[in-house]
Amino acid sequence: MNPLRLAVNTLFLFGLFIVQESVVSRIRLPLAGFSLYLAVLLAMISLEERTGAVVLGFIGGLVLDLSPTSNAPFGQWALILTVVGYLISANRDSVAEFIEGHIGFGIFIGIAASGALAAYLLFGTLLGESNGNFWRACIIIFGNFLYTVIFSPFFIPPLNWLRDQMLTSRERA
Amino acid sequence: MLRGVNRRPGGNRSRLLLVILLVTALFFITLDLRGVTLTSGSRSVTQSILAPVQKSVSNIFAPVGRFFSDIKNFGKTNNELQDLKAQNAKLASEVVLNKDIQGELKELRGTLDLAARANYKVVAARVIGRGSASTFSQTISIDAGTADHVSVNETVISENGLVGVVKSVEAHTAIVLLMNDPSFKIGVRVARSQSVGVLTGQGDNTYQFDLLDPAGSVQVGDALISNGSDNNRPYIPGVPVGYVTAVDHTSAILTQSATVKSYTNLNNLGVVAVVVSAPTSAPRIPIQPTPIPTVTVFVTPPPFSVATAGASGATPAPTPTPSATSSTK
Repeated sequence: MNPLRLAVNTLFLFGLFIVQESVVSRIRLPLAGFSLYLAVLLAMISLEERTGAVVLGFIGGLVLDLSPTSNAPFGQWALILTVVGYLISANRDSVAEFIEGHIGFGIFIGIAASGALAAYLLFGTLLGESNGNFWRACIIIFGNFLYTVIFSPFFIPPLNWLRDQMLTSRERA
Repeated sequence: MLRGVNRRPGGNRSRLLLVILLVTALFFITLDLRGVTLTSGSRSVTQSILAPVQKSVSNIFAPVGRFFSDIKNFGKTNNELQDLKAQNAKLASEVVLNKDIQGELKELRGTLDLAARANYKVVAARVIGRGSASTFSQTISIDAGTADHVSVNETVISENGLVGVVKSVEAHTAIVLLMNDPSFKIGVRVARSQSVGVLTGQGDNTYQFDLLDPAGSVQVGDALISNGSDNNRPYIPGVPVGYVTAVDHTSAILTQSATVKSYTNLNNLGVVAVVVSAPTSAPRIPIQPTPIPTVTVFVTPPPFSVATAGASGATPAPTPTPSATSSTK
């Protein structure tokens, strides 16, 4: 990932974070809320090579850590998403065929988001955070998975298009 | 889909980068847990950036949200509405805005009524944002801050009872930790039996109530009231919290526990009030006992002789007698 694209991605993520905190969070969906930010970030990570995925995971996590409503220590999301970014990029060959289609890609992002949320909760528990009822946490994760799969056809195509516009000719080849 | 993706596995460089980033993240976590202001300050800056956007979004979306409920009522008189469509289209936005304002006023009136009944001094505020789904925290953002004399650890109430506590505050906004957050704990007492216990948020609309006293009593339907904190921070006493919906009689635990439902619907908050000053006569303070009368004996100095008094023209002093006077300590 070249520095210019990294800077643009960071700005894009921060803008998306503001939309998530100001607009998406206000929408009261049944079951649980939907994290558009997490879904888009994981989609972006899935499309990057290993170094790019790790860096994007770290930066995306830091932006998410800025959330003023968070009770977790600053850096927790950065840690989790860096690991998730690495795991996705390390197993790219295994998941590449799976994420070729939009529906498969949506399901993959949903699973990745659920895994990231579960890891976040688990790490938070290790740090002594109160995460409430176990089944309630399961419902939140499942609800987020469901909405990620449902809404992914709406944000994946424009995201792909945006990414294509930003690729250099060398990366495109 | 995967155009431009390098499928070659990364080498040592990417692993080194991974380790560096993980160590950096752990460094940030350690700093935050040790209370370094750099990391907490970054969240305050973010809140300052988010506040104007949240206020704008709140202003736009509040009437729209109520508009959808009005649509349902329009369906009942569809034929009439067809005739009046042109006229209604012109007035629709005004109606929606009026209903929105009326709804907010009703909510505000209820909140202020509760505050007035208990002699709370409050600052009313509108809810402008909610906690993100990715943080698992139950919070709201309100449009009142230090400029409105709101400070951290102040109780937030609605027309029906407790809402939460102020978690962080900026100049014109504040973040309120809702009472259903898993990290939220409050001391409460059962209104009927005066038994004291701890209420814990569960992340949803139910709460866990644990009695502190093994001999305490709690029944289904019992009302719970906040017990109050030292210097009324973070919780003021006497705020209605919720009611018991189920009691757990498990013999394996020493004290009783119960499931509680809150009086306040936290999913539908529009206007809240921050209690900036609690009542001077708090309900949790016991009534002062009546003072016991005590007897004090005053001894008057020895009198002058009558002759001396007559020579000097002074009025003769009365005969000394011990006097008993009631006084209080």
